[in-house]
Amino acid sequence: MAANVQNTPGRTDWAEDDTEDLATAIPAPQITKNKDGTETIVTVFINDDGKRVKRTQRIRRTVVKKRENPRVAERRGWTKIGTEAGKAAGPRPDTTTLGENIIFRPVMGFKSGQAQETAPEDEKKADQLKKMQIKCRICSGDHFTTKCPFKDTMAPEGEAAGAPADMDDRMPGDGAGAGGATRPGGSYVPPHLRDGAGGATGGERMGGKFERDDLATLRVTNVSEFAEESDLREIFERHGRVTRVFLAKDRETGRAKGFAFVSYADRSDAARACERVDGYGFGHLILKVEFAKKTA
Amino acid sequence: MRPILLQGHERALTQVVFSKEGDLIFSVSKDHIPSAWYAANGERFGAYKGHQGALWTVDVDPTTTLLATGGADNTMRLWEVKTGREIKKWEFNTSIRRCEFSEDGRQLLGVTEKRTGQLSNIFVYDINPDPEAEQTSEESLKIVVEDLPRVTVAGFSALSHYIVTGHDSGSVAQWDAKTGELLNEVFSHEESVMDLQWSADRTYFITASKDKTAKLHDATTLEVLKTYVADTPINSAAITPEPTNYVILGGGQAAMDVTTTSARQGKFEARFYHKIFEDEIGRVRGHFGPLNYVAVSPDGKCYCSGGEDGYVRVHHFDPPYFDFKYEVEREKAREVKDHPERLEDRL
Repeated sequence: MAANVQNTPGRTDWAEDDTEDLATAIPAPQITKNKDGTETIVTVFINDDGKRVKRTQRIRRTVVKKRENPRVAERRGWTKIGTEAGKAAGPRPDTTTLGENIIFRPVMGFKSGQAQETAPEDEKKADQLKKMQIKCRICSGDHFTTKCPFKDTMAPEGEAAGAPADMDDRMPGDGAGAGGATRPGGSYVPPHLRDGAGGATGGERMGGKFERDDLATLRVTNVSEFAEESDLREIFERHGRVTRVFLAKDRETGRAKGFAFVSYADRSDAARACERVDGYGFGHLILKVEFAKKTA
Repeated sequence: MRPILLQGHERALTQVVFSKEGDLIFSVSKDHIPSAWYAANGERFGAYKGHQGALWTVDVDPTTTLLATGGADNTMRLWEVKTGREIKKWEFNTSIRRCEFSEDGRQLLGVTEKRTGQLSNIFVYDINPDPEAEQTSEESLKIVVEDLPRVTVAGFSALSHYIVTGHDSGSVAQWDAKTGELLNEVFSHEESVMDLQWSADRTYFITASKDKTAKLHDATTLEVLKTYVADTPINSAAITPEPTNYVILGGGQAAMDVTTTSARQGKFEARFYHKIFEDEIGRVRGHFGPLNYVAVSPDGKCYCSGGEDGYVRVHHFDPPYFDFKYEVEREKAREVKDHPERLEDRL
């Protein structure tokens, strides 16, 4: 899209980025044409450590043909008029500039409060967090454990059934055994959700939603960082009705972090998918699929 | 997506339109000079000099040879797009609020403003599509809008059967495009209709209103098909073409109140709604003032918005925009793919 604006003339191929200046140093790069239409380029150069290095690259050149409406092509060739008359082709910086990148992803149930982009204050906060080297105990991401998107579906690593930190109001002082068996994870549980809170459970949590989620949710690891949610959906949809696909992405680069969660409507579908997709090759990596760990 | 900012105008934008192929953008603002831009890279193609007042409206014919503009200097002018030559100037008693070509480009309508002693009139001219030809000064139809409140927007429906107008009171009216007879009137909005834009086939249209809603109307029956509710006055609304089913709303707090609040509170965002489900699905911010106009490229690959801040922002959509689907839409697509015979049965 915006690439048209940034295109610098004279640069034809990304592969030439490095070779151009280095090629002048020592022997000229050898280019051989292969039978399958690719080219092999052998370059000898001296690397940063002062060592002589030989690099062999195999490149396939593809010509991208674009169909264009002849009227549009004609209009592109028109000479400029009015205030622009006589000016060279291409956007001029005084009238045309590029704005900041905007991330726009349509979402179901959009609410204005949930900003699509972070406000400047948020960014500042994020910067500070980055410097502090934070590691989530659940997914090892760079956020606080409490902010982890998986805190409801997964238990922290190596903390399967620890005693809860909060005191059970039914049995104060008997903390070690009472709540421990039923509530691992050790996170704070508001009173109305605790065991024996007089049937008030399921208030905000929409009944057994989490149980169902846990039962039919798969954790997929070793996902290619170029994967998209739609790719995963395609793979997993073959084995049953998928209700949710979550692919963890790096906030900065927008690339996948390497793991994802897939929820099925039916547990038997999930089990079958787990069996079949585990070990499936996808984007030069082999997927590992297992059931997501349960919290409660 | 990285928006392209077009900053050729010195004052608030009033309307932006795409050419039929979506390659050129024409913009008019309260300064006196309409501009043309290449949508792909934001390069300015040129400007059309001649007007002597703020411009309110612009439209381009389907072959992108003729450009019509109208404004507060009480004239509507026709230009040759390629050379910037003024072909024709029509003079009126009051300013032109809206002009629009019919679907085939053979007719042009202009709406004059109601002012003391003057009524809102709709003038229709027959247009010769040849830029070299002499254009007529005599209107082929003149509708004097006597009984209804001030006309703010107007347009030709499919095959130029009807002329549909939006009014200051929030009502929408339908006129016979041959005889000028008032056929139907509905009171769909509570406040002034600010914009009226057609679907690709001109069988339905969307109106944007100050009453913080936009509504989808059927062009034949004027029945309200869908309503999109926002939390701010809406200045403009556009319908995205197939295969995407969205509408884009642009608005924001009235221009006169803008300085009293920060940009974030002003709600100067383009709002995307799902056309069928009427849900808001996202927003794009960027302007420092209310959005006066939003337009979608007829190929659906980009949209642009003109703001009170004097900028036109052109956005080329990213893949997530095209991939987004509701679960029911996905299921439907799957069913059609897996069992094409079922669809045939239904047909």
